[in-house]
Amino acid sequence: MFLHPRYAWIRQLAAFAVLLAVWEAAGRAGLLNPLYVPNPSRIGAALVELFSDGRIWPHLDATFTAALGGLALGIVVGILLGVAAALVRLIAELLEPLMTVLNAIPRVILAPLFVIWLGIGLASKVALSFILVAVLIFSTVFTGIRQVDRRLVERVVTLGGDRWALVRHVYLPSVAAWVLGNLKIAVGFAFTGACVGEFVAATHGLGYLLSFAQSTYNAALMFALILLILVVVLLIFGVAGRLEKYLLRWN
Amino acid sequence: MRVRDLTISYGGEPVLEAVSLTVEEGRFVSLVGPSGSGKSSLLRAVIGLQQPLSGTVETHLARSQLGILFQDDALLPWKTARDNVALGLTFNGMERKKALAEAEAWLERLDLVGFGDRFPRHLSGGQRKRVALAQALAMKPRLILMDEPFASLDAIVRARVVRDVVALVEREKISVLLVTHDLEEALSLSDEVYLLSQGPRAHITQQYPVPIPRPRDPVHSRMHPAFSPLYERLWADLSREVDHRAEAA
Repeated sequence: MFLHPRYAWIRQLAAFAVLLAVWEAAGRAGLLNPLYVPNPSRIGAALVELFSDGRIWPHLDATFTAALGGLALGIVVGILLGVAAALVRLIAELLEPLMTVLNAIPRVILAPLFVIWLGIGLASKVALSFILVAVLIFSTVFTGIRQVDRRLVERVVTLGGDRWALVRHVYLPSVAAWVLGNLKIAVGFAFTGACVGEFVAATHGLGYLLSFAQSTYNAALMFALILLILVVVLLIFGVAGRLEKYLLRWN
Repeated sequence: MRVRDLTISYGGEPVLEAVSLTVEEGRFVSLVGPSGSGKSSLLRAVIGLQQPLSGTVETHLARSQLGILFQDDALLPWKTARDNVALGLTFNGMERKKALAEAEAWLERLDLVGFGDRFPRHLSGGQRKRVALAQALAMKPRLILMDEPFASLDAIVRARVVRDVVALVEREKISVLLVTHDLEEALSLSDEVYLLSQGPRAHITQQYPVPIPRPRDPVHSRMHPAFSPLYERLWADLSREVDHRAEAA
């Protein structure tokens, strides 16, 4: 019964617990240097400390604000530009090369530039999250609209639908499907942008705390923060996944 | 509906040349021919999705009186079966609530009670075809254009759907232009069959009146004494046409 596919999560959880136990035992036996690899119990204590003294909240607030702000802006602007480029050839001619270049390069290299332009406050982090998300959504929407199922377009036309009917019943739902299909990737990009931006120059945020932990050689804090970011992103992935499942229930 | 001297080209040599045919009111007409003879292009020109090089398509029908049933059901995947059926009605000015009630009635008529809330992906091939049929019939068309509409269905589902279609078009006195390469299907359903030659420059080579009385059962009409001789003639003509073109090539 234990080997049934339905209980895979129990097996995975058990394997993880064994790994933690071995890690802890190895640490206590002096086989691991705590400067580089602290014990799981030390990481847990650092995590509890972050929350118990309440100093994590302003940092979580800063990262969430930057990531979700960049995500929302990136989705809206990416959709608008993608639709405009798909419908107006001149806009496509102007935007496509820029987006291709932005897509090809690791866009996080723009972080220092945003700090110079927008300062070390929230704006530079939102900008980095925004650029990461907007380019992804633009490409998705632009390519998607150009590859929209012609049979559906023809069906709406033959049923007597006008241009607005095409937008409402074919293009908008198609765009929504493509955007939702990429929502999880966009969430990941948004948090990457926020954390990297904070890592480069900031006074708040999980990225800033990571940078602080690195400069003070505090490996336990670093592991605790990585774990925290992981949990936060997985939680948002879960919400995005549920949203996607509900809104794309026809698929 | 009258097609006169229709020539269709996609840039090079015409796929169809000077094709003329007539679908009288309440008649079931089929167009058969080898693959690549431009059968689907002709239908697309009748609907207005393909601009002909020359020739005319005359109908005394409004756009909403023209129903379409293609091999691909092309239902909007994000809309339920009921919404898909109601779509054309709302496009033509019917209030949404009334259109949904009308759509539900058509689904019931086509044995789809309880399937109105399902999305196309959650329906079988036969059910999707029925939804597409309900979508076409809900518009109360006077002419339905069909392009291999039953080709993707398995034999039993196909027989049922075809039986329903025939019963409906006979009862509602709807004209039909069916494009198919299935000679048996064409003869068992139609009042008249046109044979297209092998393309390019495909043209009508023969016209066959089918003297099987209505109302018809599509399966039993194949046992009618007139069926076999007509089928043999049509098959011989089609084979000759394909062989002749192969020799010319």
